Amino acid sequence: MDNIYSSVIEALIFSSEEPIGETEIINAIKGIDGEDVSISVEDVQTCIDNLNTKFEEQKLSFKIIKIANGYLFSTRPEYAKYIGFLSSEKSKRRLSQAALETLAIIAYKQPITKPELESIRGVNSDYIINTLLEKNLIAITGRSESIGRPLLYGTTDEFLKYFGLYKLSDLPKPREIDEIMKDEDFQEQKQRILMNMIEEKTEEEASKESDDDD
Amino acid sequence: MYKIKLDQFEGPLDLLLFFIKRDELNIYDIPISKITKEFLDYVNLIKMLDLEVAGDFILMASTLMHIKVRMLLPREVDEKGEEIDPRSELIQALLEYKKYKEMSEELSFLESNQRKISFRGNFSEDEKIVPPDYEILLKNVTVFDLAKAFKKAMDKLKPEVVHEIKKINITIDEQIAYILDLVEKNNELHFLSLVHGMKEKLRIVVTFIALLELTKMGMIGIKESTEFNDFVILKIKNG
Repeated sequence: MDNIYSSVIEALIFSSEEPIGETEIINAIKGIDGEDVSISVEDVQTCIDNLNTKFEEQKLSFKIIKIANGYLFSTRPEYAKYIGFLSSEKSKRRLSQAALETLAIIAYKQPITKPELESIRGVNSDYIINTLLEKNLIAITGRSESIGRPLLYGTTDEFLKYFGLYKLSDLPKPREIDEIMKDEDFQEQKQRILMNMIEEKTEEEASKESDDDD
Repeated sequence: MYKIKLDQFEGPLDLLLFFIKRDELNIYDIPISKITKEFLDYVNLIKMLDLEVAGDFILMASTLMHIKVRMLLPREVDEKGEEIDPRSELIQALLEYKKYKEMSEELSFLESNQRKISFRGNFSEDEKIVPPDYEILLKNVTVFDLAKAFKKAMDKLKPEVVHEIKKINITIDEQIAYILDLVEKNNELHFLSLVHGMKEKLRIVVTFIALLELTKMGMIGIKESTEFNDFVILKIKNG
């Protein structure tokens, strides 16, 4: 593949407000220069890698990142302080514990109805769901076929962007509790491990929370 | 009573996990009686503070008490003839909840990383020539998006406020004639009965001015009435 497309790809990503995928990039190139241009998804990826290397060598303040099923230009983390000083958007409050918890459940269980979500959390979640809908982190994806046809919720591309994920399968894997439960031979042993982990986690939370208070 | 900061717990399951950790309990062998007591103490505390939140906690409290009762009774058996631990459902729920609580920490970590970077913005300033694309009818739009947008548009639609001013054709001269006519017929006239039946404020005001005018001209007299907030209008003979 010609290196000239390197600049084209750079321009396409640079001008894209939402993450732009490899196929979209290829479509744009073929749409202008003809279908016979030979360019593959791998070519695009190589180009982007090369661009990133170039940016790094030149010590530029930005790079191309892989996020939400596509590519976007973003600043490097070391400039966060300065950008945050000026930009009101980034200085916004972080998501609350309740919001993160709800998002975690929706992300792993999607599509999920509100009653299902509430039965896991054990609390009413109307307010949280509305907040997340407003922030566009979740969306209504349809209706369940179960009684009452409740609305189904799922995560959005905005969710992927917010957490810096390329696709949903990049989410960290939850520990499979069912498996631990089923395995009776090692249950005793695993109980200990589980307890330790829970203790550690809760301890971490406690210290985290006391930090927050400060 | 054990005092706990309220917003520390996201819900009843969170609180139970806290008790389990604090007292180093085995999650698979929860001392139901002890934990129910602790839980009820906490519920009583929050009932005083926040009834709405307390609802979910009270539900859990009743679940705990239900389990406690079942613990005292002979164990139920499943199809295979094995004893059913009345706590198993609760344990499942706790573990399930714990799983997602852990994941929410992972998300929180991702969130902090992501907050350190900013995407390129201010696209409106970019130079661009957009070719018209008439072929795409619906792109990344769901029925719900459309419905949402429609609702938003409808909500924005404020009813037009119309102020209407009614002109009341009434003059002092007319009211003077009207009063004189009435006084002529009745000799004495109470002010309240004079304005009785007048719907517009303006009409009452003009009538009152007409009264003052007549008094000034010496065509009528006014005297105190026996009734409170009223006065009597008299005819003065010979003008």
